[in-house]
Amino acid sequence: MTSRAIWRRPLETIAAVGAFCLAWDLYVRWTDAPSYLLPPPADVGAALIQSAASGELAHHLLYTLQNLILGYGAGALLGVAAGVALAKSPRLDRALGGPILFLQTAPKIALAPLFVIWFGLGLASKIALIISLVFFPVLVGTMVGLRSLDSRFADLARLLRLGVWRRLWLIELRAGLPDIFVGLRIGAVQAVVGAILGEWMSGRQGLGYLMTFASATYKTPLLFGAVVLTALLGIAVYQLVETAERRLLSWRDAP
Amino acid sequence: MIHARGVAKHFLTRGARVEALRPVDLDVARGAFVSIIGPSGCGKSTLLRIIAGLETASEGTLTIESAADQRAGFVFQDAVLLPWLSAEENVRFPLDAAGVPRDEGDATARRLLALVGLQGFEKALPRALSGGMRQRVSIARALSYDPPLLLMDEPFGALDLLTRDRLNDELLTIWTATKKTIIFVTHSVEEAAYLSDRVVVMSPRPGSIKKIYDSPLARPRGERTKLDPAFHQLMADLRRDLA
Ligand SMILES: Nc1ncnc2c1ncn2[C@@H]1O[C@H](COP(=O)(O)OP(=O)(O)OP(=O)(O)O)[C@@H](O)[C@H]1O
Ligand SMILES: [Mg+2]
Repeated sequence: MTSRAIWRRPLETIAAVGAFCLAWDLYVRWTDAPSYLLPPPADVGAALIQSAASGELAHHLLYTLQNLILGYGAGALLGVAAGVALAKSPRLDRALGGPILFLQTAPKIALAPLFVIWFGLGLASKIALIISLVFFPVLVGTMVGLRSLDSRFADLARLLRLGVWRRLWLIELRAGLPDIFVGLRIGAVQAVVGAILGEWMSGRQGLGYLMTFASATYKTPLLFGAVVLTALLGIAVYQLVETAERRLLSWRDAP
Repeated sequence: MIHARGVAKHFLTRGARVEALRPVDLDVARGAFVSIIGPSGCGKSTLLRIIAGLETASEGTLTIESAADQRAGFVFQDAVLLPWLSAEENVRFPLDAAGVPRDEGDATARRLLALVGLQGFEKALPRALSGGMRQRVSIARALSYDPPLLLMDEPFGALDLLTRDRLNDELLTIWTATKKTIIFVTHSVEEAAYLSDRVVVMSPRPGSIKKIYDSPLARPRGERTKLDPAFHQLMADLRRDLA
């Protein structure tokens, strides 16, 4: 990659964002839209800066980030562990496969109020919601990855008399990593949705709370700012997962 | 070392019964070099996989005399390298998996890669290697843990003649030095005649053993072997049996 090519992507992104803000600004001026419906980008920026200056913004952002990391990490670990268990044990799969399919297709977001009833208004219900959203795609990805193992790799493991754990760690999980990452990527998107939703429903912290607060008090520019930040957070989390994937699966790409 | 009595194999695929190997009697003495030759689809790979324990025989009995903790070496017909490991890491894999110290595994891998003519490719990933180079990596891997029994399924099929000749001689050197028992599947009459103590000829699909030749050729084998009239006689016999 030449140094030109390295700069092209970010420059293109900045240009696109700039053009979008300009169009937005022109639209607001042109139609004279009232600020409580569609504030101009400058107002949104100002509201963000003001919130940041008071230290409030960092507080909310960090809270959401903390829940994301805890929920995503736990959900991914549990998803891989459960996927391994189901892929390895036909009996377990027969017993739990049906219920899991049901839970997986059920809209978890509809269960969100239940989590509040079960786990209370605090941190636990928020993290439980994120876990429930990350868990299933990772579980399915792991199962697919382990089930689709190249039979010749199974031969190799057998020949070298690898024990169950060595076989799992040295061959199966690595061979299944592309499929596991499909689940991890879906889970990353879902985790952000779950984090915001959890904060909408209860509590006084996080970007989701900031949105409900701003909309209840008609601080529309701040509401827009929170939405933009949430979108950026989602992109950042997704990019992080993709970077991890590119590094761990570099053997698939260029030699 | 190996005694097969009436070993046969059929597969059930979608309800249909596929005869892969008809009953086979075979004895392989410890330290022998035995080649198996036969037309495509006659069950050579199947027989080798049964001996390796990768497949269970549908009929018959198989006894293998070896220490219980000894793993057999196997060179698959199509390399079977782990694509996320470099050439060197693939060779070292059986040692790493058995918990052999790193530097010991390192030295072994480098020595064996050099032996199969792949020095300079230690860090290359399998996808960056040609078919023949991958096959050589898999041969090095099979040798890495010094197995007493080495099963090779057309290991040199994808190689050019020059490399093939060189590796044939290397294999004989290793065999002489380490006293391994080797069972070697090949399509090449010349290779079978040059390398072996015994050549097992199989009949077409579904195969069984058609004939077994004990080689009259002296050891060590070398350029002189290829001038020996007995060598050419053996090749002619094998060709006739295969036709
Ligand atoms: N897993 C399997 N399921 C069904 N049939 C199989 C399976 N493995 C092998 N066979 C059949 O058994 C027969 C023998 O196969 P095998 O691979 O042993 O032949 P081979 O002698 O090694 O041939 P080649 O020289 O082409 O490698 C073939 O007809 C094949 O279709
Ligand atoms: Mg074969």
